[in-house]
Amino acid sequence: MHTFETLLLGFLGIVIVNNLVFTKFLGICPYLGVSGRIDMAFGMGCAVTFVVTLAGTLTWLIDHLVLMPYGLDVLRYVCFILVIAGAVQLVEMYVRKFFPVLYDSFGIFLPLITTNCAILGMCLFINLWGIDNLPEAVVLSIGAGLGFTLAICMMAGIRENLELADVPPVLRGAPITLITAGLLTLAFMGFAGMIR
Amino acid sequence: MIAATGMQVIGLSALLLAGLGVVFAAVLLAASIKLKVATDPKVEQIHAVLPKVDCGACGFAGCASYAKAVAADASLIGRCSPGGAATSAKIAAVLNLQISEGSAPKRPIVHCRAVREDKTFYAAYRGIEGCTSANAQPNVQACAFGCLGFGDCVQRCRFDALHIVNGLAVVDYDKCTGCGACVAGCPRGLIEMVPFTHEPMLTVACSSRENGKTTRSMCAVGCIGCGLCARQSDLFAVKDNLARMDYARYQPSEATETARQKCPTKVIVFRGKGAPADEKVSKTPAAAGAAS
Repeated sequence: MHTFETLLLGFLGIVIVNNLVFTKFLGICPYLGVSGRIDMAFGMGCAVTFVVTLAGTLTWLIDHLVLMPYGLDVLRYVCFILVIAGAVQLVEMYVRKFFPVLYDSFGIFLPLITTNCAILGMCLFINLWGIDNLPEAVVLSIGAGLGFTLAICMMAGIRENLELADVPPVLRGAPITLITAGLLTLAFMGFAGMIR
Repeated sequence: MIAATGMQVIGLSALLLAGLGVVFAAVLLAASIKLKVATDPKVEQIHAVLPKVDCGACGFAGCASYAKAVAADASLIGRCSPGGAATSAKIAAVLNLQISEGSAPKRPIVHCRAVREDKTFYAAYRGIEGCTSANAQPNVQACAFGCLGFGDCVQRCRFDALHIVNGLAVVDYDKCTGCGACVAGCPRGLIEMVPFTHEPMLTVACSSRENGKTTRSMCAVGCIGCGLCARQSDLFAVKDNLARMDYARYQPSEATETARQKCPTKVIVFRGKGAPADEKVSKTPAAAGAAS
């Protein structure tokens, strides 16, 4: 059922074709909020990747081992949020311990991963797409995180260069950022339909 | 699938959530011990004495970041306006410092006292219900300096200390912490933070820079720049047709009381804790003054 090929296709699909940021418009607030510098963006990407991998795996397990067998589907959101919040707390402690500079520069965005819709979205998508085996769920979760990292790092790279660009005064700051985000999304729309 | 109904579902749900909660709590507890970061105990002590309202009046994101900053740089003591002098003293005690006597606590005063009946309107405003958008209209009300009464300042206030009473922003000084959030909310700059050297103290409740005739034509209670108050006490000064008071030097005296009573538009009013309640509604002071 889950051959290497399926996993690879699923992984590429979630990173490039079904990228949560570019095609589902999820996780936009850290995408725009922490994409000022590449190192911060990469750190944020790593944090989100960790949380989404942990959350995706755990929620798949909880969903398939407890919720669905006992008909407790109504608790899905509550349990998922519980898992995500716990994972974020872990990440926060870890980052605070080992990357204090990064911790300071994240500010409010680190605890805000808790309410990052990309993560809850991914946990729910796994259920929505009917992923019924663990390896595929894990690979998709990692892929979603890496897709987010890819998106936020691309954005950060562009924005670092935008700092030096001669932007018309009316477009400086937020407008040019949003236009850039739109163009990036358009570019990624080109992949639409390749896989899945 | 095991069929479960009614109470069973509720019981299972509760059990599951409790179980998950316990498991996560255990993991996080272990992690918090393992990943404990040694922080400066002074920061925690300072944070403990702060009011923890996270109002941002100190210029930092919240009480936690202010505690950190003040521990590193003691010259930042005294930025906490909700806590006031007492909090500054406590911080100083934590840092083992002496502080000099602080100045009077700053509180907002609204430089307007025209309620709806006092104002002149040329037409009904039907735009977005907000002072900022209303202020963009040149003729939303005749007085370009008066309170618009849509309560942008009320929205900024985290302490329920501001209310719109009949089209006029009124500060509830019992609840006000002096964080200054409302000041930024007023697009007409009617709210000013002034040191309250006395409770209550006299304030000039007008911002109109129009000449006396124009002000009279559109507002029943505006300052007409007559200068009567300035002739009574040097605390008052009239500039651009508008009386202003030197709040830092304010001392209640016979001269200030005479100025208050002689003011033809009764625009010099007491404000603060214990201010006469009738000042809140401008229609009544005349009647109250006649009675007393």
